[in-house]
Amino acid sequence: MFKQIKLTACALLVSAAGVAQEVEFTEYDLDNGLHVILHQDKTAPVVSTSVMYHVGGKDLKNDKTGFAHFFEHLLFEGTKNIKKGEFMSIINSNGGSFNATTSLDRTYYYETFPSNKLELGLWLESERMLHPVIGETGVETQNEVVKEERRRSYDNRPYGNLLQVIQRNLFSQHPYKDPNIGYMEDLDAATLEEFNEYFDEYYAPNNATLVVAGDIEIDKTKKLIEDYFGPVPSGNQVSRTRVEEKPINTTVKDTFYDPNIQLPMFILGWRTPGMAAKDAQVLDMISTILSGGKSSRLYKKLVDDQKQALQVSAINLAFEDYGAYAVLSLPLGDTQLETLKQEIDEEIVKLQNETISEREFQKLQNTFENRFVNANSSVSGIAESLATYNVLYEDTDLINEQIEIYRSITPEDIKRVANEYLKENQRAEIYYLPKKDDVQ
Amino acid sequence: MKKYILTINALLFLAFTSIAQIDRSTPPEPGPAPKINLEKPETFTLENGLKVMIVENHKLPRVNMILFLDNPPHSEGEKAGVSTLTGGLLGTGTTKTPKDEFNEEVDYLGANLYFGAESVRANTLSKFFPKVLGLMAEGALAPKFTQEEFEKLQQREIEELESNEKDVAFNAGRLRRTLTFGKNHPYGEFSTPESLEAVTLEEVKSHYNTYFVPENAYLAIIGDVDFEKAKQLVEEKFSSWEAKKLPKEELPEVRNAETTQINILDMPNAVQSQIAVVNSVDLKKSNPDYFPSIIANRILGGGGDARLFMNLREDKGYTYGAYSSIGNDKYAAAFIASAQVRNEVTDSSVVAFLDEIHRIRTEKVSEEELNNAKNKYIGNFVLSLEQPSTVAQYALDIETEDLPEDFYETYLQKINDVTVEDVQRVAKKYFKLDKARIVVAGKASEIAENLEKIEFNGETLPVKYYNKLGEEIEKPKAKEVDASVTVEKVYADYIEAIGGRKAVEEVESVAMIAEATVQGMALNLSMKRTMDGKLNQEVSVGGNVMSKQVFNGETGFVVAQGQKIPYNEDQIKAAKLDANPFPELEVGDASLEGIENVEGKDAYVVALGENNKAFYDAETGLKIKTVQTVSQAGQTMSIPTGYSDYQEVEGVKFPFSISQAAGPQTFEFNVTEILVNEGVTAEDFEE
Repeated sequence: MFKQIKLTACALLVSAAGVAQEVEFTEYDLDNGLHVILHQDKTAPVVSTSVMYHVGGKDLKNDKTGFAHFFEHLLFEGTKNIKKGEFMSIINSNGGSFNATTSLDRTYYYETFPSNKLELGLWLESERMLHPVIGETGVETQNEVVKEERRRSYDNRPYGNLLQVIQRNLFSQHPYKDPNIGYMEDLDAATLEEFNEYFDEYYAPNNATLVVAGDIEIDKTKKLIEDYFGPVPSGNQVSRTRVEEKPINTTVKDTFYDPNIQLPMFILGWRTPGMAAKDAQVLDMISTILSGGKSSRLYKKLVDDQKQALQVSAINLAFEDYGAYAVLSLPLGDTQLETLKQEIDEEIVKLQNETISEREFQKLQNTFENRFVNANSSVSGIAESLATYNVLYEDTDLINEQIEIYRSITPEDIKRVANEYLKENQRAEIYYLPKKDDVQ
Repeated sequence: MKKYILTINALLFLAFTSIAQIDRSTPPEPGPAPKINLEKPETFTLENGLKVMIVENHKLPRVNMILFLDNPPHSEGEKAGVSTLTGGLLGTGTTKTPKDEFNEEVDYLGANLYFGAESVRANTLSKFFPKVLGLMAEGALAPKFTQEEFEKLQQREIEELESNEKDVAFNAGRLRRTLTFGKNHPYGEFSTPESLEAVTLEEVKSHYNTYFVPENAYLAIIGDVDFEKAKQLVEEKFSSWEAKKLPKEELPEVRNAETTQINILDMPNAVQSQIAVVNSVDLKKSNPDYFPSIIANRILGGGGDARLFMNLREDKGYTYGAYSSIGNDKYAAAFIASAQVRNEVTDSSVVAFLDEIHRIRTEKVSEEELNNAKNKYIGNFVLSLEQPSTVAQYALDIETEDLPEDFYETYLQKINDVTVEDVQRVAKKYFKLDKARIVVAGKASEIAENLEKIEFNGETLPVKYYNKLGEEIEKPKAKEVDASVTVEKVYADYIEAIGGRKAVEEVESVAMIAEATVQGMALNLSMKRTMDGKLNQEVSVGGNVMSKQVFNGETGFVVAQGQKIPYNEDQIKAAKLDANPFPELEVGDASLEGIENVEGKDAYVVALGENNKAFYDAETGLKIKTVQTVSQAGQTMSIPTGYSDYQEVEGVKFPFSISQAAGPQTFEFNVTEILVNEGVTAEDFEE
């Protein structure tokens, strides 16, 4: 029996500000707890099938890191009906494209096919959920691949450890302190039994959301979904305990040496609210004021006018439980990192003391409206948005309503948030420096 | 009400499910092929020649715009880089609006606007379309080229080019293009710091005036616009663009090598070789061979499931990835099969490439490979239809590539018509194994000998050597060392050069303080060494110690990032070599390896164990370089250290300038103080 049926308004809504699009969708649960979201768009004969599992880097197994990302690889190894190595070639030889991504909070698998291959997409994803092969061979193969990935993405890539260094400075208890890809010694030490337990714990239908978007017939698709996913047994409810961090009260200082870089980087980082909080969206706007576009405050001052920085960027990394806000800067020529710090501080203090102008405020509204419109421009983009809003924000309607949150933000909110979170004594100051080999 | 009905429907489906049998054991069959509905844009042409395409699509309230000049390529000769500078300066202000104001206006509208030498792209909410189109036209048609912005950009471009000096992939790619298309062909020429330096602001202006003309220009507007209104706007903003004839330009003929050959670029710092098997092809999209050739390439090396990848990576483990590509272009294109491989498998990889290319030319591919490749292209085509810009892109292709009107309507059919015979025929024709260049950029001293032995079809492949500028050169010669020279002599000459054995033997300890500047930050090095083989070394930045090493002759440790880690066996071995300030006093197991060129000087090479080499100036006897090879996380890299500016302290000469390269960066240390037999105590080497 379906537990929940929900329809959004079918009529096209035209909001006051003139955004003339509304993503229509249907959502419901299967008996086994799988949440299903369907979105029909017949513009092009394309269909996207995707599953988001509510498991990410922060979900450890016996305190071991890197499991979710490892599963991103492992679950391409094959299933009871798909031989080792064939998962990807089946997709390619059917003209599909695919990928999978893992964040600290969730894992997402997706395929896009010509729409006559809808059933194939459902078969692939249900095979993965129902009976993937988790064996010694696959674990060994993927362990090597993940190590290679770690070398390429973290250890050999310029600034590859940036995110990890920010994480470890802003978190000391919460698993957000550890790299998403995990520590190699944890993966080396992990047993096959632990992998199997992890699968049972997190990859059951009741911890997943299936999205099918594109050129589909709703009724027929529902039936196919029941056929393919209905038989997947339900799992135990996932128990989630949120680890509370103590507030940072004195500035944290850290230095990191990267052998792959020539230019040092200076980073300011703050711990901020999780993605669902309104203040997280306010921080998005602050990023745009500081470094979005050539006329933004930090870019214009440091890169263009004063030629002190090669690059400067303010980013809000919003995770589920907390966020991490960072301002990154690369010096130009002989500029000292201390100089960059002072110049950036000046702009942050300005945000804390002065309300932004009416024109700057309107610029923000225009920028976010453009971003909102472009975010939902492909069926695979819409599918991922739907899954994300459902799994991490617990409100699928945000796909249409999030722009309203941005619209409700006032210049005073921006000033308040800059004061509340971007405090000097609550931040990390990170010197990310080129590593030299000691002169012999 | 709605909800109730839906529930009933749902129940019905459930009922169905219990009866429906699905077979999970094999992939489900696809439904009937979807109908492809390919729209056409509406078009018109302005009097000045600008061709405009408008794709109305109201799904989202946004508009994308592309202004594109389909000019034939032109050579820039001694001023190579002038077009890059021209493109970089567009968008930095106009005759009507200063730069800051222009940028502010673009950002205020929430729009994106990017300028290139012969293209402009923009994206906006549809409500700001008229304004953004206006900014696009203003930036493109009324640029203000200022000396200030010109100099800023010129300097940046030169610096960027110079930073690529040691980049193996960069130099390999540049040489490959030059050899494939010819140095005087626009596709083969490249800019150098000198050619960029030679460009003046006046030449940028003249380049712009000559080539930024509407003769071959296309403007595509895609999205939420009304055709009539958009047309009116375009006329308003672009009619003033003055029609001018482009200069006629003869392109030099592109010729392949007479016979298949290996072309080596010596990159002494390379730890991996960049291999490219390449030949030019005359293949336009309008050529009937286009479809078979993209299928043949897909099977050979078009992805992670193609033959080259399966052979060189999955089977042999030579590389992280091996791929091929075949270009199509109105003027000239190339077939390229390439990979980055470890030094020691360079020759074996070349053979593997040649074998795979040979196989697809001489044996028919299987029906399964053919079908998989077709399906991938069919899928790509169908998936591309989702973006409204595809409609414009396809229409633009038909115009600029001289294609039949129904080229894209019949695209899927033409893919489907390709046979295994076609694949073999085009493989023979375009993967020219008899006239290919195998361009290898790598460390010649380690790879050349084996490359010279490669036989193909029973014959040894000729090998030629090139420099970074694409000029053929003599094989970099390994110089012969005179028979009278031995390690003993090299060491004795060195000791003599720095002050003589007597003075050197009086040294018991050396304390050195040196300083380097890294991006404005002071890096300090303090090193204490004793003749009985002890070492204490500290590196600090801005007064903070970042690493410390202590070695007491037997054991040692490193302190870095707050952690104290004891030396392992390798580190102890290395420290024993490092600690002695004058290892040249005893020959031990050192061996003379030969003579090499170091920064224009002949130097004797002495090997100390497997991982250390020292270079002594053949003329002055002084030690001018050491190279240490380290392996870390499966990667091997060499760390060269250069020594110069020898100055005398207490009768012995020490280098006062020390440079060390680690990866792409170089640290220049200036020695500020050297103390002989003072400033070192026993405590310096304690645990």
